[in-house]
Amino acid sequence: MKKYSSVVFILFFLIGIVPVLSSFIINDSSDSLSSLKFPFKRAGLTERQAAAHLLSRFTFGTTPNQIDEVVKMGLVKWFEQQLAANLPDDSLNVALAPYETLNLNNKQLINTYLNSGQLINLAIKEGVVPKDSALHFEYKNHKAQIDSFMKERGFKQQQEVVRQLIGQKIIRSASTNNQLQEVMTSFWYNHFNVDVTKDNSTNYVICYEKDVIRPNSLGKFEDLLAATAKSPAMLTYLDNFRSVASMNNQGPEVVAKNLKDLYQQQQQMRAKGDTGSKFKDLGNKINYLKNLQGLNENYAREIMELHTLGVDGGYTQTDVTNAAKVLTGWTIFPMNDNQGLQGIQKMIDKVGIEKLTEQGYVHDGDFMFAVNKHDQTEKVVLGNTFPVKGGVDEGKKLITMLAHHNSTAHFICKKLAVRFVSDNPSKDLIEKMATTFLKQDGDIRQVLTTMVASPEFWSKNSLREKIKSPFELTISTIRALNAKVTQPYQLFSWISRMGEKMYHYQAPTGFPDRAQYWINTGSLLNRMNFGLALANQKIPGLTFNLAALNNHHEPESMEAALTTYCKLLLPERDVKETVNRLMPLVNDPQLSNKIAAAGKAVKNEPEHPAMGNDMMMTMMDSGVKNDSKSKDATKKNELNNNKQASLNSMAANNNNMLSQVAGIIIGSPEFQRR
Amino acid sequence: MSTRRGFIKSGALALFATGIGGVPAFIANAANSNKIIAPYKKSKKLVCIFQRGAMDGLMAVTPFTDDNLKLARPNLFMTAAKGSSNSPLIDLDGRFGLHPTMKAFEPLFREKRLGIVHAVGSPNSTRSHFDAQDYMEAGTPFNKGTSTGWLNRAVGLLGHDGATPFQAVSITSSLPKSFYGDNPSLAINNLQDFAIQMRGNPLAANLAAKSFEELYDQTSSNLLSRTGKESFDAVKMLQKANTKNYKPANGAVYPETQLGNSLKQIAQLIKMDVGLEVAFTECGGWDTHYNQGTEGGAFARNVGDLSNCINAFWADISTYQDDVTLMTMTEFGRTVKQNGTGGTDHGRGSCLFLLGNDVNGGIVHGNMPLLAKENLEDGRDVPVTTDFRSVFSEVADSHLKINNDRVLFPEWDGKKIGVMKG
Repeated sequence: MKKYSSVVFILFFLIGIVPVLSSFIINDSSDSLSSLKFPFKRAGLTERQAAAHLLSRFTFGTTPNQIDEVVKMGLVKWFEQQLAANLPDDSLNVALAPYETLNLNNKQLINTYLNSGQLINLAIKEGVVPKDSALHFEYKNHKAQIDSFMKERGFKQQQEVVRQLIGQKIIRSASTNNQLQEVMTSFWYNHFNVDVTKDNSTNYVICYEKDVIRPNSLGKFEDLLAATAKSPAMLTYLDNFRSVASMNNQGPEVVAKNLKDLYQQQQQMRAKGDTGSKFKDLGNKINYLKNLQGLNENYAREIMELHTLGVDGGYTQTDVTNAAKVLTGWTIFPMNDNQGLQGIQKMIDKVGIEKLTEQGYVHDGDFMFAVNKHDQTEKVVLGNTFPVKGGVDEGKKLITMLAHHNSTAHFICKKLAVRFVSDNPSKDLIEKMATTFLKQDGDIRQVLTTMVASPEFWSKNSLREKIKSPFELTISTIRALNAKVTQPYQLFSWISRMGEKMYHYQAPTGFPDRAQYWINTGSLLNRMNFGLALANQKIPGLTFNLAALNNHHEPESMEAALTTYCKLLLPERDVKETVNRLMPLVNDPQLSNKIAAAGKAVKNEPEHPAMGNDMMMTMMDSGVKNDSKSKDATKKNELNNNKQASLNSMAANNNNMLSQVAGIIIGSPEFQRR
Repeated sequence: MSTRRGFIKSGALALFATGIGGVPAFIANAANSNKIIAPYKKSKKLVCIFQRGAMDGLMAVTPFTDDNLKLARPNLFMTAAKGSSNSPLIDLDGRFGLHPTMKAFEPLFREKRLGIVHAVGSPNSTRSHFDAQDYMEAGTPFNKGTSTGWLNRAVGLLGHDGATPFQAVSITSSLPKSFYGDNPSLAINNLQDFAIQMRGNPLAANLAAKSFEELYDQTSSNLLSRTGKESFDAVKMLQKANTKNYKPANGAVYPETQLGNSLKQIAQLIKMDVGLEVAFTECGGWDTHYNQGTEGGAFARNVGDLSNCINAFWADISTYQDDVTLMTMTEFGRTVKQNGTGGTDHGRGSCLFLLGNDVNGGIVHGNMPLLAKENLEDGRDVPVTTDFRSVFSEVADSHLKINNDRVLFPEWDGKKIGVMKG
């Protein structure tokens, strides 16, 4: 009852607040949007079908009754509200309160959450663990010492950052009222992908998503690009933080070529056994040349290839090298109290901040422009000249140039169309969106508006054409069932098994956004098993009430249940085929008894994902307060609500059948589509 | 219809005749067209093991006569001299010694089935696990943007389509980079889990499977219906195989470890004749910065496990040994000098193991210089004197008969060093 009333409360709350908000915000932008119309009728869609399509594209899934709400509010108004992205999220904020990493900045995260190597080193350095034990170090022998060391100093395990990162994303995506903003946050995170496991990126990813991506996800593309360029996460992930000017005037490719030749010579001499003084000279020469290779082109290449122009965007290797030179010295302000800070602090103390600033040094939050590492020569990128001694401004100029490039407009708009329309969007649509992008200063809201106002968006060819990613499948299930998530990390293990290990995609490309990538022989079975495990309440930390979904109306027959739940979980879809196919299943007179009998034996046995690290996951989830009490309370409510359930075995059988049916619907091909 | 029934009755196909929904579609198709079914044709199989974390090649296969190493590793160096310790290195050729816990490898080496390549690695000098694994699995050490893995490209170059969904299988929880690409490949964590599952309720699971199969069969999405069919075909094949009660042949005993379990499953797939041609799995724990140990300890446990698992696998697949080549790989090696915490840091060259009847075995291949400082890469690491692509491409060419190295390793035009026979 409690759960139900809170939903009602939120509904009232929403309905109450919308007019207030709209008078404030939506009118603000109404100059450009007031004439907005969605041409869905021309595509032969009813308003309800259009609402379902809109929700399938701009949310992580439709919640019960959401189509009614959107139709009542008006489709355009709903969309504008989502673009404004400022609906209150009180219940979400409560749910995220235990996620303490969300309240910390990069410096605090770096100095609090340590990986085991850092912990051990520090413990040895500070004499907590005897130094001579280093050679025979076994963590388990020193666990007590290190644990108390951690407690005393307030250190925590770095793995906790990853756990909270994933947990907050699942909870937020499932329940935020600002769905489009979160969908866009996922989109841009994947576009500007950072792998949380890469070297020292781990602790930066929390703030990267929270402060860099999300606030810019519906703004100007240039702001987003600039924010990622200066973020410690990106600077680390794509190595720009260590990219410094070459000490000679040769390009790195020349140095690399020379090096390659020298290596070959070295190898030949070695093969001949010639290791005399000539051989040593060669070694010295190689080491000298290697030190000249200060330039790292990794970020410069990806900012063009993946973030802006696209691989066919019309740049050359020389452009990459020169862009890398432009970005030399773009690095992270040292923030680790245990290392690094001293050097820069010494320099500041010695030279004085004013003088440094005068010379072009910049310290802006976590970002630092180290002018002494910057290549001061003249460069040409994409035909534009960057004169000598351009300092930090030439990097900014490069970013502005890339953000507004014609190739960028097309590349970004195509990616958006692929995300929101279909895997193969038409050229016309991309052209329309790119025109808006260029005309409106890369304003992402305007680009999305152009897209949603186009006939292509509503074309029958794009309805249900996207395959949900494993994350989308999971979140849309939670939303469709109105489920409560208390242990999100359990869901992460399923999402990973289905092929989308969130935040762990190694390559800077991010996950490919196309159906073929997600659907393969192994992953498809996992999707079906996910449906079954979930509907049978075998995923720990996820609770829902199938009866409540149907307002506690018990279906008259299993046939009725099938039709009812198909419609509830697949609103505005043609479910005739699915119902017909499943009907023989529910019509088997002995079936429900068989399932019930078999079901009794396994009722309370959780379905553990076979990943080998279940134990760890369970442990990790228990970090956030488990609400087993409230789970019990919910269970009690379920029983009270269902008058017959407690004693009537027929009802119990029906519940088993209902779960079976719901599981099959979730694993069905129709539910994989959006 | 009669052809199909007759065909099924006639032979081993009866194995698949019943299942959750009948006969796998590819068998039905083949039966109807009277084609020879590929899974029953002998095919060569390549099995790869990625040792993630960078194995210390100098401790696995030690150049024990090199005093430079002895000096650089006062606490880690081991020798083959008898009586020097309870378990000295296994002297392979007077110069190299195998770690004592890898004694399972000794007979294989003496029989010339096991070959070793030393000072092997990537020409790209990155010492980042992330980058080096990525480069090695993509097979393009200087190109980060490569979207496909070398083993996936190898599958595409086999010259024939996969007869079953099991042509390329990775026994891992997610698809490794080596398998990225357009050619079909499958990641399975555990064969037993490759089914529609409802723990303890097989009846309900079976009913659900039937429903799913029908739903996927009739869906308007081609991708979903095709993949659904493949999935259920694969499930049916595995269902008949009784993966649960698998008994290894020849008394092979797999260690109860992740790698042991993975190799056991690969052996099962090989012996099931399901058309497996490329298999992959991985093992971790090689990043030994701390307390690496010598004849005992973390490293010893790891190499012991590696050799025991591979040895059990080799015994288990006895009748298939002529068809199988196994290759290990690791992203880089470790520093020549021990560090301050009884371990070693990220280095360059390491070693890899090759096992098979076509392998030019009983030899430590490659070129390992004396480990004097001036011979080391950056003055600290085993120089990479053999490009990993040289070995990978030779194995692929010789064993899988792939001749298009330009596609397999696009930037590679180097020489082979004779790690395979013939």
